[in-house]
Parts: sequence; structure tokens; C-alpha cells
Amino acid sequence: MALVSNKAIQPPMPPALPGFEHVRRSWNSQFESYAARILPGEFYVTRHKEGVATTLGSCISACIRDRATGIGGMNHFMLPATDVSDLALMKANNLSDATRFGNYAMEHLINEIMRNGGRRQNLEVKVFGGGRIISGMTDVGLANITFVRDYLAIEGLQVIAEDVGDIYPRMVMFFPATGMVKVKRLRSLHNNVIVDEERRYIDSIKKQPVSGEIELF
Amino acid sequence: MRAMNTDTLTPENLVKDISGLVTLPDVYLRINRLIEDPNSSSADIAKAVSQDASFTVKLLKLANSALYSFPSTVDTVAKAVAIIGTSQVRSLALSLSVASSFEGLPNDLVSMRNFWKHSLLCALAARHLCKEARRCDADALFTAGLLHDIGELIIFNRLTEQAKEALLLVVHNQEELTVPEAEAQIIGFDHSAVGNALARQWNLPSVLQECIAFHHAPARAEKHPREVALIHIANTLAQLAEVDSLDLDDAPPIEPSAWATAGLEPEIVETMVRSAQEGFTEIEQLFLGQ
Repeated sequence: MALVSNKAIQPPMPPALPGFEHVRRSWNSQFESYAARILPGEFYVTRHKEGVATTLGSCISACIRDRATGIGGMNHFMLPATDVSDLALMKANNLSDATRFGNYAMEHLINEIMRNGGRRQNLEVKVFGGGRIISGMTDVGLANITFVRDYLAIEGLQVIAEDVGDIYPRMVMFFPATGMVKVKRLRSLHNNVIVDEERRYIDSIKKQPVSGEIELF
Repeated sequence: MRAMNTDTLTPENLVKDISGLVTLPDVYLRINRLIEDPNSSSADIAKAVSQDASFTVKLLKLANSALYSFPSTVDTVAKAVAIIGTSQVRSLALSLSVASSFEGLPNDLVSMRNFWKHSLLCALAARHLCKEARRCDADALFTAGLLHDIGELIIFNRLTEQAKEALLLVVHNQEELTVPEAEAQIIGFDHSAVGNALARQWNLPSVLQECIAFHHAPARAEKHPREVALIHIANTLAQLAEVDSLDLDDAPPIEPSAWATAGLEPEIVETMVRSAQEGFTEIEQLFLGQ
């Protein structure tokens, strides 16, 4: 019998939805699938059989999909608050600034899924991240978790799974077509480079003007 | 005439750079000399230990901890040397001081606590694995576990930018990429080569040299394949213990041949991870405290 390589033949990369052409995608041999890799502040939505991956420290990723059609995607964001009490204080003083980036990230993801045929009543949500990866008095991760839970409760969206908090960074791979998620906990060796990257992201969004209304569906 | 390039980046050059910053503890060197001297007695070794008050205190605390679980109290250095063994006390002299020895080599990439936490979990896992495997010096394996990643501290201190790039490559790579693979890609060699260069410069016992050099490539071990296989497995178990997971996908893969070389079965993973976690809580202060 001839030896046949059992390596999956790499199919052509599925087309990206309009507006997501810039997101880096490549073949992942472990999952035998293409996967997009998003950075803090980015999101990606797909209607194809492909993955979306990211690495989270204290940031949050919501993985949302239409369970009937498999259209879905992932975002990656954090709030400027340093902990839960800071979040409450910021909300009391200036609600829009405290949660603006979180609202923006959540609404963009949901809107983009619905724009591409997803139906609100079919949406299911999984939430990851919010790790307390630097020891100290404040817990940025918990502020992010608190925000996303409140947001989803107010929007009436059902969270069917989550892996949040604790002290680990996480690598998350989400397949909207099936809803499968693979979370890998990372050892602390990577904490500081992840914190650095998240800090650069939060510094860059803090500089953005508060204008820019979000179109709601 | 061709100029000699003295700046070539090699593990040996990196280690030469730090020779003034990190030194072996005196008490280890004294015990080492005595063990190699055929005319010395265990009383001489006990005396050498007693000259270091801080080591004496830690040694007695450790001897009375659950790590050894001796039936009676070990209240004198002489008794500790007698029941632990001279060569084992030498290992402990290195183990109990290595974290403070490396204080002269700070870095911005990983906190010293997180770095030594992994090393201590590896040391504990190695010790437990060693007891399962039998006929194995548990104290030497413990030291090997504590020292296996020391090359990392040198790379982080001397080549901070490249090391940072390597760590980022691991977290952003589409395919599973290990830290040593990323280091080799960016620096040209990895932390095990740097650790090995230091172990050679320090003239550490060959079992420690090989465990440090080959903990990511156990099949390359020459003189001590069994000990190297044990450290290779312990390294993965330490990472599972750190992220509190029993899913082998959460840590670098264990070479299948390492189990056979170590004479152990993968079924023991859970017990070993739990034992390392429990041991850590008990002895953390002794090894990582000031």
C-alpha cells in the first residue's frame, strides 16, 4: 500500500467580509483551518469556517455567533478604568468616557454580525479574559469583567460559557461556524510583554476624541 | 589583516559578561571542596555548614518540613548532615541560595517571584518524580529543577530587546511555538545553551550541566539521560502547576521517549502536579523569601 500523507491539503483562504480585509490571517495546522489574529482594539467577523484568535491579559474578548447560521466573530478590548471602584467613579462623573471603548467594541461586533445576516434572537455569547496578571492593589481585569457582564445583561444577551478572571493570560481560538472555543492558559513568563501591549493600546485610545456616535441597528 | 571579531554573540560571551554579577555561594564552594577532599569527614562538613548562620537555619527548617518527613526532629547540623547525606547537603547549599545569587541580574521582562516560582515548582516536581522513579538522587534533581532556566535570567538581562521579541513571537504566533524555538529564531541560540555555558563556567556537577543544557531536548543527553528526562517532564508539570491545569495542551509537549527513559508512566501527571502545588505553599518562603 502506498504511503499517503495525512496532512490536510491547504484550501484557498476564504474571502474576508468587507471591512476586515486588513486583519492578519494565516493557516493553522493544529486546527487545520485558517485563523485571523486580532490585537487589542481590533475585531473580526466571519461567515466562513475559519477561526479568530487573540491573546488576552486583563483585556476581554467576547465571542458572539448566530447559532442558526454560524455567522460570528470576536472582539478584544479593555476600559480605561484601573479597577471596579474607579469604574464606578468614572461612571458617576462621566458615563460615556468610562465605558465608551467597551460599548464601542461590543456594539461594533454585534452590529457587524447582524449586518451580515445574524439575528439578535439567535446570538450566543462566550466571554474570556480579564486576568489579574499584575500583582498589586488594583484589578483592571475585574473592571473589564464587570463591564462586559453588565453590558450583556442590559442587552439581554445570553452568556453560555466564560473563562474570566484568575491570574493567567489566555490564548483564545474561536470558531464562529461551530461555536467551538479553545482556551490555553499562559504561564507568567509572558505577563509583562502582554501588559506592555495592553498599556500601549489603552494609551492610544485615551488620546482619541470622545466624538463619534455608533450607528445602532 | 583580518580583525578579530570579539563581539560575536555566543552563550559563552554572555556568561563571561556576567561573571562579576553572579557568583556561587561560599558555603557551597566550601562544602564542595570538603566532599572532594578524601581526608575530610562529615564533621568537617557540618562545621562548614554551621559557619553560614542563614543557611543553617534554612537547612534545619527544610529538614523538618514535609519535603523530608523524617520520623524525628532534626535539631542539629550534624544530625542533618548525617541523615540527609553530605552530597545532598551540598545540593541544598546551592538550592537555598540560588535565588539570592541572581539578584545582581535584574530584568524588566519577568518578576523574580514569577521566575523562581516556576523553577521551584519544577524542582518539587522533579523531586517527586525522582521518588517515583527510584534509585535517583532527589536532592540533586531538586537543584537541577531550580537551576534549569538560569540561562533565561542572563538572556533577559543582557539581551532584553531580543528576549522581549521572542516572548511576543510566542504569544502572537499562529502555530504553537515554544520559548526556546522563538529564542533560537531571534537570538540564534536559546536559554538552555546559555545556562549550560554558566554551569560549565561554574564547574557544576555534570548531572546539573546536562539537565540545564538538554531540558528541552532530552534525547540529546549523554551521561545522564534519566535525570535529564525527569527534568524535561518536571518542566512541563511545573507549567501545568503554575496555570493550575491538568490539560497537557496547556504546557509544552513532553517527548514521548522521555517517559520510557525516566521509567515512568504518564498516568502520574495529576498526582505529581498536585504534589508540586502543595509543596510550593509549604516551602516557598524558605527558597524565595528574603
